[in-house]
Amino acid sequence: MTAALVEKNGAHTPGPSRGNDSPPPSSPRRPKRERAFDDVPRWQIYVPLGIYLLFTLIPFYWMLLFAVRPAGSTSLVPWPMTGDHFSKVWNERSFALFFQNSMIVGVATLIATTLVALAGGYALARFDFKIKGAFMLALLCSQFIPGALMLVPLFEIFKNLQMINSLGSVVIAETVFQLPLSIILISGFIKNVPVSLEEAAWVDGCSRFKAFCAVVLPLLRPGLIAVGSFAFVHSWNHFLFALMFLSEQDKQTIPVGLNTLIGADSVDLGALAAGGVIAAVPVVIVFAFIQKWLITGFSAGAVKG
Amino acid sequence: MNISKTLRGRAATAVSLTAVLALGATACGDDGSSSGTEGSGKGEITFWDNNGGPRTAIWTEIIKDFEKKNPDIKVKYVPIPIADVQSKYDTAIAGGGLPDVGGVGTAYLANIVSQEALEPISDRLEKSSLKGKLVDNMVESVRSAAGRGDDMYTVPTSANNGALWYRTDLFEAAKLEAPTTWPKFYEAADKLTDAKNNKFGYTIRGGAGSIAQALDAIYGQTGITDFWDGEKTTLNDPKNVAALEKYAALFKKTTPAADVNNDFTKMVAQWDTGTIGMLSHNLGSYQDHLKALGEGKFAGIPAPIGEGGTRVQVSNPVDGLGLFRSSKNKNAAWKFIEFAASHESNSKWNKSAGAIPANTEAAKDPWINETEPTALAAKALTDGSTKIVDLPYYLPDWNNISKADNEPEFQKLLLGKITAKAFLDTMADELNAAQKEWKELGNG
Repeated sequence: MTAALVEKNGAHTPGPSRGNDSPPPSSPRRPKRERAFDDVPRWQIYVPLGIYLLFTLIPFYWMLLFAVRPAGSTSLVPWPMTGDHFSKVWNERSFALFFQNSMIVGVATLIATTLVALAGGYALARFDFKIKGAFMLALLCSQFIPGALMLVPLFEIFKNLQMINSLGSVVIAETVFQLPLSIILISGFIKNVPVSLEEAAWVDGCSRFKAFCAVVLPLLRPGLIAVGSFAFVHSWNHFLFALMFLSEQDKQTIPVGLNTLIGADSVDLGALAAGGVIAAVPVVIVFAFIQKWLITGFSAGAVKG
Repeated sequence: MNISKTLRGRAATAVSLTAVLALGATACGDDGSSSGTEGSGKGEITFWDNNGGPRTAIWTEIIKDFEKKNPDIKVKYVPIPIADVQSKYDTAIAGGGLPDVGGVGTAYLANIVSQEALEPISDRLEKSSLKGKLVDNMVESVRSAAGRGDDMYTVPTSANNGALWYRTDLFEAAKLEAPTTWPKFYEAADKLTDAKNNKFGYTIRGGAGSIAQALDAIYGQTGITDFWDGEKTTLNDPKNVAALEKYAALFKKTTPAADVNNDFTKMVAQWDTGTIGMLSHNLGSYQDHLKALGEGKFAGIPAPIGEGGTRVQVSNPVDGLGLFRSSKNKNAAWKFIEFAASHESNSKWNKSAGAIPANTEAAKDPWINETEPTALAAKALTDGSTKIVDLPYYLPDWNNISKADNEPEFQKLLLGKITAKAFLDTMADELNAAQKEWKELGNG
């Protein structure tokens, strides 16, 4: 019977030996859902995806087109090309400086958010304390408070701390607003790491901190990337705090710089588009590199252990 | 149990202490109404440009000239995006950190004055070299917009004027006369429209800033010259209702359907693509049109003439420079204001912006006549041929009423969800209430 099947299938399926009278090993069957997906004609997948991509990419194409075509051109293709708009915003409109400031704010927010969220998330995941439920609720509720509502109190606090016109004020404000979601996400990731792994490290003589660094931290990589990139992108794009807390031209960030390209009565669309491209590049690069980790990270964080 | 009580006690103490510290920290801030000092007339002053970005280059040049002439004073220039300037001022008034000098337009002047953040400048102006050298109607505009009787709170620097931009080449091809009257405007809007081929006679402003443009069209057509008739606004006068019905009916008939979301950026960009016949926008977009369409393909004229044979238009915001009450160096700040509003600087600034200078000597400079739209606008404003309907910029609620409250309503009107009468009645009720409240506070 086995021989007949092997012949019929035209190949021998490897598998554990089960003796002569055991049933033949069958070929691994793909899940029903996957087979159903394979049965769908390709056009039914690619046409909607293509339409979606068109809606997504056309605004980017438009931005690139305006950024590289000469002023006054109405061409729908980016030819002839010019780098004038990039040169103008980068050199004349101080985007080199804005870019540097945004990078400082973004990276500092990423580091601060990740470190504090790790500590907070670990506490929530591994310890039981009396107000844990209330604390989680407070974290969730804080997500409903718009930044604009906190503007004046934050402004006064930073002013009294002599931090107005300092990038530090923006980093602190951004970190504070990023933390609730980041702590919740990180605690979800940590809950997914079995405590037994840590306990094994303790038995081997590790302290709690060393066990965390040696055993838990490496397993949190997708989560850390997700939280860190989220914090970076959010602070990179955020306009309000930078506008309000920074009142010197050489401290301003990219979103504020972009807004200054729109005047009361006129707008230089070429310069605005070039500024938009400069603003988008780091975010696109970040997402291109971390896309895989980001999806894994968010889905892992969503599962509560 | 004891431990628990102790913990609760500690927690309560910590929370209370934190609250007290936070309140203490936030209570220390000085608001915009602190009195400041005259200062030595030397040192550093901060200047907020209320249209930061497009005017950065020219301000940098003027500041350089100023610092050369006044080596003891250094000006720190801060460009603020125009769209957010009011919230930036409001936050600084509430939390402290106002500049010494700031650009303030009449559209939000009353709001800042009502918060006691600006210093009255009438006395300083009386002793200044600027005395008698500022265009009268602009002085009157800033005085009236502040809403504090005869007190002035800004030195006017420039005014912009609404213009009707039209494509001369398209008009010639269609054998149309320039749209100098409202009937000619409507005729041209209709004849230049070929919706199937994506050609339209006009582009209407349906998004941000729609109200001022609509009011210009309404009063321009009916020739009503007063915004108030006693205690009530003339806004919902039956003639105005009929004019708005006619104007709003242009939407989708002779304008693109996307106009419902048009702010000035989209509207100007759309007109500059070259397929639309006419555009209502101020002189500020002249350079954009020139770059996009080239010389000789378009012209800009003041608002069309209405039924009564007189050109009527609503007052455009006048830009000015204000001295902030909290300044610690008012002498130096005032020197900077005087310099910026002087003949040479004011001329330089307005030439760069394509606007009308507030300095009477600058207003006579030859460059004014080099650009036809600016020359026509300056003439219309100064030769007495144009009647101005003064919008109530002095009402602290004016910006809310003319933007947040009624711009979405105007979109509903364009989409046919409400009638012109309902739209104007609602806005008129709000204005009447705001005016009443303002008068009850002892103003006017």
